[in-house]
Amino acid sequence: MTAVVETEGLTKFYGTRRGLEDLTLEIRPGEVFGYLGPNGAGKTTTIRLLLDVIRPTSGRATVLGADTRDPRVRARIGYLPGELALEGRERARDYLQFLADVRGGVSRGKIDALAERLDADLSARMGELSKGNKQKVGLIQAFMHEPELLILDEPTSGLDPLVQQEFLAMVREVRTSGRTILMSSHVLAEVEHVADRVGIVRAGRLVAVEDIAALRERAVRHVELHFDAPVPAESFQGLPGVRDVVVQGASLRCTIDGRPDALIKAAARYTVVHMVSAEPDLEEIFLTYYSEEEARHAHAGA
Amino acid sequence: MPTLVRKSLREYRRALVGWTIGLCAFLAMYISFYGGMRDNTETLSAQAIAKYPGAFRDLLGGLSDLASGRGYLQAVVYQLLGPLLFTMCAAILGNRAVAVPEESKTLELTLTLPIGRRRLLLERWAALALGLLGVALVTLLFAAGAASAAHMDVPFGDILAAHTGLFLLVLFFGTLTLCVGAALGRKQVALAVVGVWGVAGYIVETMGRNLDAIAWLRWISPVHYYLDGRPLYQGWPYGDYLVLLGATAVLLLTALPAFERRDVGV
Ligand SMILES: Nc1ncnc2c1ncn2[C@@H]1O[C@H](COP(=O)(O)OP(=O)(O)OP(=O)(O)O)[C@@H](O)[C@H]1O
Ligand SMILES: [Mg+2]
Repeated sequence: MTAVVETEGLTKFYGTRRGLEDLTLEIRPGEVFGYLGPNGAGKTTTIRLLLDVIRPTSGRATVLGADTRDPRVRARIGYLPGELALEGRERARDYLQFLADVRGGVSRGKIDALAERLDADLSARMGELSKGNKQKVGLIQAFMHEPELLILDEPTSGLDPLVQQEFLAMVREVRTSGRTILMSSHVLAEVEHVADRVGIVRAGRLVAVEDIAALRERAVRHVELHFDAPVPAESFQGLPGVRDVVVQGASLRCTIDGRPDALIKAAARYTVVHMVSAEPDLEEIFLTYYSEEEARHAHAGA
Repeated sequence: MPTLVRKSLREYRRALVGWTIGLCAFLAMYISFYGGMRDNTETLSAQAIAKYPGAFRDLLGGLSDLASGRGYLQAVVYQLLGPLLFTMCAAILGNRAVAVPEESKTLELTLTLPIGRRRLLLERWAALALGLLGVALVTLLFAAGAASAAHMDVPFGDILAAHTGLFLLVLFFGTLTLCVGAALGRKQVALAVVGVWGVAGYIVETMGRNLDAIAWLRWISPVHYYLDGRPLYQGWPYGDYLVLLGATAVLLLTALPAFERRDVGV
């Protein structure tokens, strides 16, 4: 099957400021793609290019097989802007109905069902909604017409934890029904439980695209071992994939990259009474992409 | 009616109602003064008017026969204050088509609807034109009613001709605001362009007509095509009105590709 989103050398300069440079990316049907990066990385720029709000300096992009310039394709996309603004005296329900009408209608009761799930008050005037409630209205309009592709720019910003959980459930349902989601975020933790793949963008460039499953494998792990008697530190020096070793009497703390095999074999010479291994911290491996030096180091090591 | 036209009219509704009431209040007040002033020949007599400096009289359209119903209606309503107020209304509404929602970021979601940019701009413009037409119709009926109540003796046909010119003039300025906003996305710039072109155009048309050095500038003043035909006296100046309509169309046709091409919200 063809890609849902396909970009080739997509580049956007705002005057001389770089927004995005040379993005080549493919998002496959049915996947949840997390688009990650720090402030000013180029996430919103990418998304606005895909929705034809801004125009590329060079390169091209297609969405659902159509050129981004084709307005008809946007009826099949659900979009949540990163800087969502809702204003005025209009009631949220009337505004949603207007959006639904222009997109060719939504199935009956869909708006109310979503409002109930997200606990949103649609009778309020939009200018009087709190930030989180605006975000809910934004989510409802993005999901309500059951689009084939959802493009969500920082969807969880402003939402309380309960609503965030509900949102993630909605994302999973969309994936189950075979539809595709592109969502941006600053933190991996926000998307790691729903995303199939993540792309990491930094200073306008895509620095990595990773499978979440593969990322988990490569993740660093903090391990703590407790022995029945003090152990010599030397026995744990220079083990492959083991670093930051700290031995204090009968306990040892260290960090392992990848397989724990060498550490287990070294520890097996002593009596282990207790072992703690924290959940793999994807955030940490993710953060290494943020620092160029470490990224280069990772390349050299690979 | 297309959904976006209906939605835009709904957004304009409060402003339209407000401006209609305001303009009618203005008409009622100034036209009702006529009765009192007509009886008091001192203030409106040609000799009294002649005491004002020439440039001042030019600025107000000559003030030649303020004592007659036509002269009073022209000087007080159709010369300066009426177009000024109605143009303000048109510029404010015209800005709300693109520039204001763009600056407040609410345009982004509208833009990502399955509507092409050209259609979006045309439907916004259609809502503006319909809204202004509504205000023009109500104020026309109100002006005609007030004029007849004040015994001005101006036939409805002449008021209709003058009021049509007023509508075309404000439609031009409203379209100008909309188009500058659509092309540049800046509401202050749009207001500045309308303000400068409108005020300079008015001065050139009224005081400049006797100054050879700037008289030619009248041709690029929209106000010229509104005032020069003296519709209240001479009936329909079809040619002038067609120029105003044509200029409005040209503006719109220029703004469409400009809006189509540019980045929104940057
Ligand atoms: N309208 C604009 N004019 C000039 N530069 C811009 C504009 N919008 C974005 N940029 C620049 O483009 C770069 C990418 O911005 P973008 O908004 O895409 O980042 P982002 O990843 O969405 O950031 P955030 O997480 O803060 O939302 C930044 O350096 C920013 O300064
Ligand atoms: Mg952003």
